[in-house]
Amino acid sequence: MYLVANIETEICAATSCKLCTQYCPEANTILYDNEAGQDKGFKYGAAYVAVDRCKGCAQCVWVCDNMAKHNAIKMEMIDQIGDTALTENVTYGEKTSSAVLANPVRGQG
Amino acid sequence: MSLDYVKFTPGFGKFMPKEYRDMVEHGPFGKKVSVSQVGTFKEILEEHPMCAGCAMTLFIRLAMVAFPNPEDTITVGTAGCGRLAISQAAIPFVYGNYGDQNGVASGLTRGLRLRFGDRPKDVVVMAGDGGMADIGFAQTLHSWFRKEKFTTIMLDNEVYGNTGGQESGMTNRNQVLKMAPLGKKFEKMDMLGMAKVSGCAYVATVVPNNPRRVESVIKKAVLVAREIGPSYIQAYTSCNIEYAIPTDKVMEDAKTVENDRYKFSEYITDEAKEYLSQLYGYKEYLPKPAAAVEKQ
Repeated sequence: MYLVANIETEICAATSCKLCTQYCPEANTILYDNEAGQDKGFKYGAAYVAVDRCKGCAQCVWVCDNMAKHNAIKMEMIDQIGDTALTENVTYGEKTSSAVLANPVRGQG
Repeated sequence: MSLDYVKFTPGFGKFMPKEYRDMVEHGPFGKKVSVSQVGTFKEILEEHPMCAGCAMTLFIRLAMVAFPNPEDTITVGTAGCGRLAISQAAIPFVYGNYGDQNGVASGLTRGLRLRFGDRPKDVVVMAGDGGMADIGFAQTLHSWFRKEKFTTIMLDNEVYGNTGGQESGMTNRNQVLKMAPLGKKFEKMDMLGMAKVSGCAYVATVVPNNPRRVESVIKKAVLVAREIGPSYIQAYTSCNIEYAIPTDKVMEDAKTVENDRYKFSEYITDEAKEYLSQLYGYKEYLPKPAAAVEKQ
């Protein structure tokens, strides 16, 4: 198993700095959903990780902890992360993207 | 090379891979996108085999987002780490033999201008410090002296990262590397100085720990190269393998190096300033009010 980034939606939606999306070295990996957290009353949405593209470098963790100072991103084992975004479940809309969450390790036995 | 080719053949759309469909429907082609919008549209860079946490990858990604007209852009590269990512994008990539990239780009630019005339087609060379300052040095400098109208971007990781850590012309003096155990004996080459002497209209240094600045610099360089003359960007893109930087400390290192020896610098000729001032979003290059009054 290996580590991937996991973004805490509630902390992210409260601030929505979008720094991690800009600093991730991988393209189309940290995406942004304008409607995430709206059911909990947050206004601006939150970032999420398409874990099948994440290489686990943890640059986003450093950026979130030290530049944004929000501490919203943690590195977690792929099999302990729960349901999360995969590239095949991501849909792009007008100025936003969203993903139907799925188990990233299904079908691996 | 145009919006016409970034679309489905009628009837085949549903058979294309998801990434391709996303690119056609939600890619940046024909739209204005900026670095602050990443994560909400499909980027032209795809998955690639570069190392986790590589600052060069981050720079290439930001550069691809910043291209003013990605549908009318061709990238040229050569051997080195960078081409592993640059070639995995939804825009044409031309691979020059090692060191030939600026020669190839010269011919390409001239050919495109003959073929397409006044429609801007941007050629952007992205190569490493070895391909540009060592082995391709002659071709790089000659393309600048000939005032070839394309953008040259050096991905400066200060080492031959792809071949095990030999010193390059851009390595700093006394730097000890795996294949340079006694340390480098000479100073880092002053490519910025040479770019200015050889007539580049726009020269800048940048570090990818400021994405908006990277975007602004790339846009200016590509626009200046369309009309005025060659432009050169030197970007510090650390090699976290050869310099043993932990992947989560790459941006910390970029910040340290930026404060130390890679401060942001920008050189722009008066002609290029005048050209940019006529474009949308470059008011800072408009003549000062006093000068405007004199003209009247």
